[in-house]
Amino acid sequence: MGPLLEQLYYALGELAGPDGLSRLFFMLFPLFLIFELPMTIMVLLGVLRWFARRRTSVPMISTYRPRVSCIITCYSEGMDVQTTLLSLCEQTYPGHIEMIPVVDGATMNQATLNAVRRFHVDPQLYPKRHLRPIAKWQRGGRVSSLNAGLSLASGEIVMALDGDTSFDNNMVSAIVRHFEDPSVPAVAGSLRVRNVWASWVTAMQALEYLLSIHLSKIGLGEWNLVNNVSGAFGAFRRSFLINIGGWNTHTAEDLDLTLRIKSYFKRHNLRIPFEPEAIGHTDAPVTLRQFLMQRLRWDGDLFFLYVRKHNHNIDPRLLGWPSFVMILVSGFFFQLVLPFIIFSYTLLALFVLPGRTLLFLFVLIYLLYLLITVLMFGTMMLLVSDRPRQDMTLGMLVPVFPLFMLFMRCWSAVAMLNEMFRRGHEESSMAPWWVLKRATRF
Amino acid sequence: MPTPHPRIAILGNRVSELNLVQLEHFTDLGDLLAVAVFDVLLLDMPGAYAGRVLSKLRTLPSYRYRLIYCCRDQDSWCEALGDGVCPVEASEIKARWEVWQERFSLLRQAPERFESRVLAWLWLRDHAQVCALRDPEVPQHYRYPLLEALADSEQINSFAWLALMVQQDWLEEGVLVDRVRLCPDCGSGRLNFIDVCTECQALDIARQPSLHCFTCGHVGAQESFLKDGVLLCPNCLNRLRHIGSDYDRPMENYRCRSCHAFFVDAEVQARCLDCGLSHTPDQLRAREVRDFRLAEAGRFRCRQEFSDHSGRHFGRLSLLGGKDFYDLLSWQILLARRYSPPAFSLIGLRFVNLPGTLSLLGEHRGHAFIDSLADRLKESVRETDRCSRSTEEFFWIMLPHTDAKGLECVKQRLSRVAELFSAPEVSDISLRVITLTAPQDLLDQENGELLLARLASELE
Repeated sequence: MGPLLEQLYYALGELAGPDGLSRLFFMLFPLFLIFELPMTIMVLLGVLRWFARRRTSVPMISTYRPRVSCIITCYSEGMDVQTTLLSLCEQTYPGHIEMIPVVDGATMNQATLNAVRRFHVDPQLYPKRHLRPIAKWQRGGRVSSLNAGLSLASGEIVMALDGDTSFDNNMVSAIVRHFEDPSVPAVAGSLRVRNVWASWVTAMQALEYLLSIHLSKIGLGEWNLVNNVSGAFGAFRRSFLINIGGWNTHTAEDLDLTLRIKSYFKRHNLRIPFEPEAIGHTDAPVTLRQFLMQRLRWDGDLFFLYVRKHNHNIDPRLLGWPSFVMILVSGFFFQLVLPFIIFSYTLLALFVLPGRTLLFLFVLIYLLYLLITVLMFGTMMLLVSDRPRQDMTLGMLVPVFPLFMLFMRCWSAVAMLNEMFRRGHEESSMAPWWVLKRATRF
Repeated sequence: MPTPHPRIAILGNRVSELNLVQLEHFTDLGDLLAVAVFDVLLLDMPGAYAGRVLSKLRTLPSYRYRLIYCCRDQDSWCEALGDGVCPVEASEIKARWEVWQERFSLLRQAPERFESRVLAWLWLRDHAQVCALRDPEVPQHYRYPLLEALADSEQINSFAWLALMVQQDWLEEGVLVDRVRLCPDCGSGRLNFIDVCTECQALDIARQPSLHCFTCGHVGAQESFLKDGVLLCPNCLNRLRHIGSDYDRPMENYRCRSCHAFFVDAEVQARCLDCGLSHTPDQLRAREVRDFRLAEAGRFRCRQEFSDHSGRHFGRLSLLGGKDFYDLLSWQILLARRYSPPAFSLIGLRFVNLPGTLSLLGEHRGHAFIDSLADRLKESVRETDRCSRSTEEFFWIMLPHTDAKGLECVKQRLSRVAELFSAPEVSDISLRVITLTAPQDLLDQENGELLLARLASELE
């Protein structure tokens, strides 16, 4: 027996001993304290700052009304595209909005193409809304749709939107005001789940979108640390986007683009704000299986981008120290390392610890996470929520939420393994195989 | 005796590739008109210019009826006034000219009346049409250049005259070109369609979109909801964020800016740009614009009028026009059904290939042949019988008070008609006969028109 295994046995024996529980607690607790608590505090402080700033700000009337081009990537959404287009027509933004629905694989997706063709923009009712549909007969993937749209877009601001996402009518005006500042190359928008009560999976996701995405992006955005400009809903300055070469092939083109924009942070002193008032409503996966497959892709793509594709970009000289540390902590540690630690702790505890100890430990951890969740939910309801009545009902799910997050962390580890050993990103459904095959391998 | 070769002149700049013996070249219209009239004229010039020359030539008595071909592109004036594209082969020109010449020689003097001039022009060439031409400069949008050219100094209303000609069976309707709507007062087609207020007919109306708040049910004009770039219900002060979940657009209203009336559908008025009067669209006069061609009866008329054989041919059989014959037949059917005997009989004759053979024979021999055919038919037909021709090939004889036995006699006499077709030059013609005796051979609910259609299909 090797000395390594011997040592492991020894360690496990100690844990199983009379003082094992406190040892384990101490082993866990610092980790939590060192990383997760500062993160939560930073987010909450950011939210507080945002709230205070918003409360005290003087309403400003601006004459900045650039033309906005919305590239709407469509595939098999069918009639849902019309809802998206209508919600864009309905924007209260006083400037011009150009809507460019790009139907990918239009030969196959006749229903979507017909929905786009049949959509009529009433020039009297919507005088400043322009529809310029593009049919891409051959399927080429999301990236090709976005770049095709970009090549024809004429607006100063370009938005990348999903065909199944509809928007609140103040979305464009809320987003556009950030671009008045020339140091803003991109703005992130917020997504809400449209089909909240379609199943328990969608309800859990609705809460997750509110707490882990909406709330934490407000907090992070306040410190210029927004980790990702969502692919379903992001806005960019067109000149900047063209300068950095538009979207790049491979999956997770949104995170890829965010990372590439961030690599100019240090040199050009840029910032990416998050706009909580710009809200898009999207359909979340309804069944558990669809949901897990989506996350398998998302979490696997994280590994692919951070470790394989952009490992040279993650450099304080490019990103600046705050973003570098943030990516190191939240990108690498939280999203790549922590899932494994949690996963292995859980497994270890399940097999090694006696029943009572296990129960006590889990209850303790659960209570800690519950506390954080309640805190965040309370903050969200009091300071942030724009639809408090609707969000209130999601409070029922707060007790289950820590368990859901634990489960998701474990699944993240599976996704990572899938990417590590199977190169899962290469079987993405975001682009056809004949496109992915030609992409540079990392 | 006609000259063996037509005298052909070419008017234009380019020397034609046609290799014709008697080809004289003119560059100026005046030079051409100064010399003796040519039989065939070729216009070698761009379509737009050729159209103008054609409309000039068709007003001149000397070139009014002549064959004039365009060698280059054709505009709609060329199509309406000319004889089409110039044939490539010289022999083709000659063949067409011979047909024309044969008929033209029958015109002993130039027709004096406008009506005769148009009919003669159409009759002189096969497949000729009175073509409608779209011209934005005339108030009715369409004009008939041929009629204008042949009118000389007469004032004619083309549309009314054409309707009259169709009524009299001389012309028949061709392709429907367009349907135009005209002002009922001044007949102009220059109309402007405008939306006006339903209450006070004012022009100054505006679309006013309304919103419907889902929270409190308030419905109001969109302006009352817009506050500082966000939609806020003026009744319950709720933010309206997303169409479909917070609010919708229940209706599209119009508001009159002069009388403040609200209405859903604006009234449409057609305002005439010429006389300035307004009308509702259903008050407008709709007119169908068509091309016209010579009808069967018109062709007969030309043959009769322009040759001295007037009152001959089938005319001697006192033919009834289509509608009259149908009515007579329907009446006989009713009589036969109600008071069964005496019955009546009907004979249908079809001269297969008659029109083709006639055009092969040429005018003179064709006339002679039809004369002999009409003679034979007259021998068979009795004073009390009534005849009609539905087309050139079909000939119908109705025999009142004739039962199956009587019909047999007539049929025997008619069989001698077929003997005419034994001559070699008319051997292409064959005769098909069908007979019917009422009321036993009638179908239920059948009237004259249906009966003839049924018999005609059996003769096919």
